Amino acid sequence: MELQKFTYDNKLTNYFIWATVGWGLVGMLVGLTLALELIFPNLSGEISWLVFSRIRPVHTNAAIFAFVGNGFFAAIYYSMPRLLKTPMYSKALGNIHFWGWQLIIVLAALTYPFGFTQSKEYAELIWPIDVLVVVIWVVFGLNMFITIINRRVKHIYVAIWFYIATWVTIAVLYIVNNLALPVTLTLSYPIYAGIQDALVQWWYGHNAVAFFLTTPILGMMYYFIPKAANRPIYSYKLSIIHFWALIFLYIWAGPHHLLYSALPDWAQALGVVFSVMLIAPSWGGMINGLLTLRGAWDKVREDPVLKMFVVGVTAYGMATFEGPMLSLKTVNALSHFTDWTIAHVHIGTLGWNSMMNFGMIYWLVPKLFKTKLYSAKLANAHFWIATLGMLFFSIPLYFAGFTQALMWKEFTAEGFLAYPNFLETVTQILPMYYLRAFGGTLYVIGAVLFIYNVWKTAAQGSFVRYENDEAAAKAPAKPKESFHRRLEGRPLQFTVFALVAILIGGLVEIIPMYLVKSNIPTIAAVKPYTPLELEGRDVYIAEGCYLCHSQMIRPFRNETERYGEYTKAGETVYDHPFLFGSKRTGPDLARAGVKSLPNYKPDSWHFNHMINPQKVSPESIMPAYPWLADNEIDLSVTPDKIKAMRTLGVPYAEGFEDIAVDDLKAQYAEIAKGLRSSGIEVGDNKEIVALIAYLQRLGTDVYNNK
Amino acid sequence: MATDNINKSHDNEEYEIDTLTNDRLIKDHNYDGIKELDNDLPPWWKWLFYLTIVFSIVYMIRLFVFQADDLIQEREYQLVIDKSAKENPNTKSTGTFEIVLLTDKSDIEAGKETWIKICAACHLVDGGGIVGPNMTDNYWIHGNSVEDLYKIVTNGVIEKGMIPYNTQLSEEARLQVVSYILTELVGSTPATPKAPEGNEY
Repeated sequence: MELQKFTYDNKLTNYFIWATVGWGLVGMLVGLTLALELIFPNLSGEISWLVFSRIRPVHTNAAIFAFVGNGFFAAIYYSMPRLLKTPMYSKALGNIHFWGWQLIIVLAALTYPFGFTQSKEYAELIWPIDVLVVVIWVVFGLNMFITIINRRVKHIYVAIWFYIATWVTIAVLYIVNNLALPVTLTLSYPIYAGIQDALVQWWYGHNAVAFFLTTPILGMMYYFIPKAANRPIYSYKLSIIHFWALIFLYIWAGPHHLLYSALPDWAQALGVVFSVMLIAPSWGGMINGLLTLRGAWDKVREDPVLKMFVVGVTAYGMATFEGPMLSLKTVNALSHFTDWTIAHVHIGTLGWNSMMNFGMIYWLVPKLFKTKLYSAKLANAHFWIATLGMLFFSIPLYFAGFTQALMWKEFTAEGFLAYPNFLETVTQILPMYYLRAFGGTLYVIGAVLFIYNVWKTAAQGSFVRYENDEAAAKAPAKPKESFHRRLEGRPLQFTVFALVAILIGGLVEIIPMYLVKSNIPTIAAVKPYTPLELEGRDVYIAEGCYLCHSQMIRPFRNETERYGEYTKAGETVYDHPFLFGSKRTGPDLARAGVKSLPNYKPDSWHFNHMINPQKVSPESIMPAYPWLADNEIDLSVTPDKIKAMRTLGVPYAEGFEDIAVDDLKAQYAEIAKGLRSSGIEVGDNKEIVALIAYLQRLGTDVYNNK
Repeated sequence: MATDNINKSHDNEEYEIDTLTNDRLIKDHNYDGIKELDNDLPPWWKWLFYLTIVFSIVYMIRLFVFQADDLIQEREYQLVIDKSAKENPNTKSTGTFEIVLLTDKSDIEAGKETWIKICAACHLVDGGGIVGPNMTDNYWIHGNSVEDLYKIVTNGVIEKGMIPYNTQLSEEARLQVVSYILTELVGSTPATPKAPEGNEY
C-alpha cells in the first residue's frame, strides 16, 4: 500500500506547554498566598483585591482552567495528530484556540479580584467572558473533530474517546449551568433559583472535576504512559468497559455535594449510589495505567517521567476511592463544610493532575527540543519534594477537618454545645493550617525546580517545529468487526453515543426538580428581598463571603442548636443565585438575622466586625473589609435588578422598580439611624449598610411567621 | 458479561505475544506504536463493580420501598431530637438554683473563660465595651445586682442586640460569668472605655 507523507506542526504543543508551566506557577503561588492568609488574616494589608475571598477563585480557576486545561490541550495537540496520522486540521483555529484561552485566563485574573463574579464555584466568570469561553470551546471542537474526520487510521484509540467525551460534556455542562439573565455588562442573575440552582451548579461542578480534571487526563495517560514506558496497554476490554461506565455514571453523582441539604431525599440518594458505583470504573483507569507498566518496573525506578505517572495514577486511585466514601451520608455528615474536602481535592490536583502534567512535560520537552532532559537528578528531587509537599498539605487538613467536625457536634452532659463559640473550633485547628502552608511551600519549591529544569532542557536543544511522518490512506472497515470496534471506526456516531450517555443522568435529576412541585414545598411567609437587601446580596457575592460562610443549616441536632431551624427548600426560591457555600471557615449565616438565635449580632456589631474583625474577636481569622464603608452601591442599576428578578419569576409588583430606590433609601436611613445611636457615623449609599441589611434579613421569614 | 465476547472476531486470527508478560496482543491495534493486550477484566475488579451495583439497588429499595428512617432526612432528624429529649429531659434547667455571687477562684476563672469566648465579642476582652456597654464602670442600664445581671445573661435584651444565653450556657456558667464581671471587671481600667450608659449605682 502506498504511504502518504505529511507533517506535524509542534508549535501549538510547545505554546500550550509553556502556558501550562507559567500558569501552573501562578496558580500555585496564589494558592500559597491563600494558605498564608488563613493564618495571617490581614496579610492582604486591607488591599481589597488581595483579600482571601476575592482571590480564592483566581487560585481555583488558575489551577483548573489554566494549569490543567493548557496541560491537556498540549497533550491533545501532540497526541491526536500522531494517533490519527494526520496534522491538526487548521493552524488558524489552533492559534485562535490558544490565544483565546489565554485571554480568558487573563480576563478571569482581571475580574475576580475586583469583585466581578457569578459566585458559582468554578463558573465564576461573568457572562461576557462565558460567551468567549463558549466561542473558544467551539473553535477547539471544530479543529478536533475535523482532524478526526481527516484521519488515516480507521479506528480511534481510547485516548481519543476520552477527548471526545471531554469536549461534548464540558460544552453541555458549561452552557446549561451558565444560563443567566444579564442586567449590566458585568452582572447577571442565573435563571435557576435556590435549590434548583444548587443542583444545576453541582451537576456542573462535580462534572467539571469529571470531564475537565479526569477524562482528558485519562486520555493523556493512555497516550503518554505506553509511550514513555514503551509497553502495550494492559487491557483493551477494560478500556471499553471503564470508559462507558465512567462517563455514564459520573454525570449522576453531582447531588453528593448537597447531602443533608434541602435537596429532596431521592436526589440525594441518586448522588450517593452513583458515586459508590463510580469506584470500579475509576479504578479501571488506574489499573489500565499501572498494569501497562508491567514488565517496565525497572524503568520506573530510574525514570522520573514514569515515577511522576505512577504517583499521579495512584493519587487518582486514592481520590476516586475517597470520593465515593465521602458521598456516604454518615461520612459526609462529618466531612462536609470542613477542611477534609480541601484535603481530598488536593490529592486530586497535586497528586493526579499536576503529576501527570509534570510527567508529560518532562517527557515531551526533550522530544520537542531534540535533546535529553537537562537533569534527571533535579527531576528526581522535584518528584520527592512534590510527593512530600502533597502529603504535608493533605494529612494535616484531614486531621483538621475531622477535629473540627467532632468539635461542632460535641454536646456537654447538660445538653449544651461543648463549643458554642465557632471561633474556638477554628483556633483549635490553626496549627494544621501552618503545616498545610509548609506543604504548599514544598510543592512550590518543587515546581520551581521543574521550571528551571525544563527551561534548561529547552535552552540546550533546538526546537523541532515540523516532524514528518507517513502512513497509508484510511483502510475500509473489515467485515465481522465487533460492535464496539465498528463504533471506533465511526467517530461521529461515537460522539452521539457519548452525548446520550452523559445526558441521561442530568435529565433524570434536573427535570423533576422543575416539574414536580412536591420537591420544593412552598412557604407562604417567604418574601422577596427588599431593594437594599438585594444590593447587599450582590455585595455578599462580589466580596466572596460565600467562600467561607455557608447558608445551609443541616438537619443535625448540633446545627439546629447552633444556628436554628434547618434550611428548607422553600426558603431559597428567590435566591438567584443560591449561596449555600461549600466550606465553613466561619459560621453558617443562613439565619444570621433571627434575633432569638445564638448566632444573632446587632447592626453595630456587624459594622465593627466588618471594619476590623480582630477588634471584636481577637483570634478571628476573618480579614478586614474596611472598603465596604467607603464603596457606594450604584442606585442607577437598582431598578434594573428588580426588573430582572421579576423576569426570572420573583414576585415584585409591577411598577415596584419605580419606587425601589425610595424604598431602599428609607430602609437605609433606618439602619444608619440605629448605627448613629451606637456612635457610628455612616455616609449615604455605603455598601456596608446594604450588606448589614441583607445579613439581618437572612432566615427571618419563617421565624417571624411563628 | 456481553463484553467478554468483544474480541470474538479475533479468535481465529493469529496472535502476537508480548514477550515480557506472555500476554496476547490484539492484532491490528497499533496507534502511533501503542499496542493493546487482549487481557480480560480482572475478576476482583468485576466483582467490585457488581458489589457496588448491588449496594445501590439495596439502597434504593430501602429508600423507595421500605422508606428507611436513616434515608429520610426529616425523620432521621426527628428521631435524634426525640432521643436526646428523652435521655435528658431537663438538660437546660436544674430546677432549683440559687443565684448568689460565687467567690471560689475556680468559678471566677471559669467565668473569665466564658467571658473571653462569648461576651468579649461585644463587650471586649477587658470589658471596656464596644457594641455592648462598658462593664467596668459604675453605670448600669438594667441594675447591678447578681440577680439583675443573671437575668440579663439568661433572657437577653433582644431590642439592644443582647441575645439570651439560656440556650448556650448552663445556669452555673451564667452565674460564673456574672460573678467574674462583678468581682474582676467592675472597677478595672480598660484600654478604650465606652462612655457610661444608664444610671450610676
